[in-house]
Amino acid sequence: MIGTVGYHLLQNHSVGPILFEKLKKIKFLKNIEVEEMNWGPIAIVQYFQSLKVSFDRIIFLVAIERPMRKIGAIDIFKWKGGLPSETQIQACVGDAATGVISVENLLIIGEFFKIWPKEVYLVDVEPGPEIAGEYLTVEVQNKIPDILDLINKITLNGGLLEQDIQILKGDSLFKKTSYAK
Amino acid sequence: MCFKNLPIDFDKEGNAFLIKGVKDPYDHKVVDLGIEQDKLKLLMEKNGFIKNVDYDPVTRVAGALAFHSVVDLQKKEVLSTNSMATLFRGYEVILKGRDPRDAAYISSRACGVCGGVHATCSALAIEMAVGIKPPPLGVVMRNILLAIEYLYDHPLHLFLLAGPDYSEELVRETNPELIELAANTPSKNKDIHGYSTVLDIMKDLNPLKGKLYLEALSMTRVAREAYVLIGGKYPHPQSVVPGGLSVTVTTSVLNEVYSKLIKFFDYGQKTTGIWDDVFDFFLKSNPEYEKCGVRPATMMDTGVWDRPDSYDATFENCDKWGEARWSTPGVLVDGEVVTTKLKQLNAGIEEFVEHSFYEKWEGHKYKEDPSGIPLSPNHPWNKETIPKPGKQSWRERYSWDTAPTWDRMPMEAGCYSRMYITAKAKIAPESKFLENTGHSMKIHVPKHKLPEKTLEWHIPKHWNAFERNRARAYCIPYSAMVAMDNWMLAMDLLKKGESKVSTPFEIPKKGTHIGFGAWGAGRGFLTHHLVIEKGVIQNYQIITPSTLNAAPRTPWGAKGPYEEAVLNTPILEKFDKTEDYKGIDILRAIRSFDPCMPCTTHIMAKDSDHMVTREVTTCACGIE
Repeated sequence: MIGTVGYHLLQNHSVGPILFEKLKKIKFLKNIEVEEMNWGPIAIVQYFQSLKVSFDRIIFLVAIERPMRKIGAIDIFKWKGGLPSETQIQACVGDAATGVISVENLLIIGEFFKIWPKEVYLVDVEPGPEIAGEYLTVEVQNKIPDILDLINKITLNGGLLEQDIQILKGDSLFKKTSYAK
Repeated sequence: MCFKNLPIDFDKEGNAFLIKGVKDPYDHKVVDLGIEQDKLKLLMEKNGFIKNVDYDPVTRVAGALAFHSVVDLQKKEVLSTNSMATLFRGYEVILKGRDPRDAAYISSRACGVCGGVHATCSALAIEMAVGIKPPPLGVVMRNILLAIEYLYDHPLHLFLLAGPDYSEELVRETNPELIELAANTPSKNKDIHGYSTVLDIMKDLNPLKGKLYLEALSMTRVAREAYVLIGGKYPHPQSVVPGGLSVTVTTSVLNEVYSKLIKFFDYGQKTTGIWDDVFDFFLKSNPEYEKCGVRPATMMDTGVWDRPDSYDATFENCDKWGEARWSTPGVLVDGEVVTTKLKQLNAGIEEFVEHSFYEKWEGHKYKEDPSGIPLSPNHPWNKETIPKPGKQSWRERYSWDTAPTWDRMPMEAGCYSRMYITAKAKIAPESKFLENTGHSMKIHVPKHKLPEKTLEWHIPKHWNAFERNRARAYCIPYSAMVAMDNWMLAMDLLKKGESKVSTPFEIPKKGTHIGFGAWGAGRGFLTHHLVIEKGVIQNYQIITPSTLNAAPRTPWGAKGPYEEAVLNTPILEKFDKTEDYKGIDILRAIRSFDPCMPCTTHIMAKDSDHMVTREVTTCACGIE
């Protein structure tokens, strides 16, 4: 499954929703589904729990502002599980149940309810500061072919070197410098 | 006469007029909040046990709420309170100049939980302004849709947000003396929910793992599934339009809705049984809990769920169709109903910004409503939203929320207000499932897996945090039974071939048209006031339940409902050292209102439509 997560109308932060239609039109391998995943982590958990055949791999297209990255920079993260404190999980559930859209919340809540398959990836584009707007800036526009190419590579399970992939863990997700090569 | 503070009176024919001889009828006192702050400063210098206790953010509420309190941890009392909405809601600004037909879709985004009621309120405002009467099935299906929205909201709050405050894990940390007592207290409603003792219930209220917590999560799914059958999607329905709904309703749609709705018959019985047991236990174990979050039952509600044979959308008849609603609109002052008329409810509303980050607007365009009732310059039809961010100060301005009042009194709002006013006023038309006695509401729940049962919610003696949540629990079967009443009406309409769900309309390109939508959210009172000029929105004002509840002080110093409720809250938590103090009593008081700050506040559009800045100046450190 390829899932897009993010608010609409927030310029580069909306890279997922903006590229969703493009992704829908791409002929990926058979059995790959492209879904908009903004409908709430709790509902997503319940959807996954109701699946008769589970997904092998999930790729989320997101845009999270991170320090020391140029706008348009693309990082690939692999979710390695783990959970923060129960207080933090409860805070995620509280946010999720009241309408907040956040891939971090989604990852944590999904992990808590054990819905994720073995392989969960984030294709994460640096959006820069949060600004209202319908369109992507030139920096991110220019990276669209790369973004789509990377997503395709992950679906094919090839062409990516281990060192290109960073690790994301739930127990350190809410510390700002939580990711490492 | 319903107004005691505004200089408005009524003649023998019921026509309103401004009392003569009042020099400036809408003048008000302005007090200096600095005096209170100076006193507190002196106290804190003298007494090391008096501490600033800040909750920033207040967790387990929807959105950005911060709360400042000054607490004497030796005497265990709260000395001062300030409620802070920490983000700006720009919807009033966003909607200005737009086509009114966009309003339902845009204003729906004011909240990530209750989009449906915002969309509906918007549709109602346009229906009144332009004169659009929806067909009966449109009205009935709207009722079902929004009853279902409450069936999502109430379990969510009771078990996911407020529920953990009463869980075994939390009580063990804050009041361990209650654990053994709970273990030895048999539950009265075991036959309904299956729990032998109160401690058994409290264990299943534990967050993330407790069965009641997890069950509530699954019930929100049931409600959502029913909701999307009518609304198309959740939380922002696609089918709510002025003039009704844009959805095809068939018996198979209704049957699918019924298959979800019926699950709330048993769940309503179970939920009321659970919370009756838990709250009776707390109140009996320590009568001081009566004071947790207590304030007078001074609240207002718009009423909801229109009768298809009464609702004509007109301002002229709004008193009549308002009083015909399944829940009665009205104002309650210290437990007494002072009006059930929508016109009086509307005319008494004012919004003040003296302690908020807004500029005061000029002008008094609408001096009276279309029926001649005088309107204040602070009425939403006259109000303008002019954001003015600035330094946070307890002496001057400290919130992005405004201070709304009715007849110059801060008002509380909640789903419980609609039940309280309806039960007390006793004027709601007859219902197969509901009976209002003046001191209680009887809810006849049909059998599903559990046998049928008549539940009875009693108006409590003290209006406190426990009673707010208890009433909220009873709002689950209440909403489910209203949905059921309407489901039966919808079936009858379809049998008669009345399948039309909307009325076509056009927005007039000329002239000025005003209206207001009044339809409570899951959290209570909600109004959208609208002025259309030459075909576009000239003014749009939203008052949400949390606008009322989270309000800062009025210009004359009256506290907002959170502020008042927390100030009255005793500190019953057990702690040895001040650094161990967790503030659970204060949090219980605040959370009992079901705060929804996304409705109250949003992000600030600075300088232009395209510059969005998060102005989160919530750190209370150093604020004076």
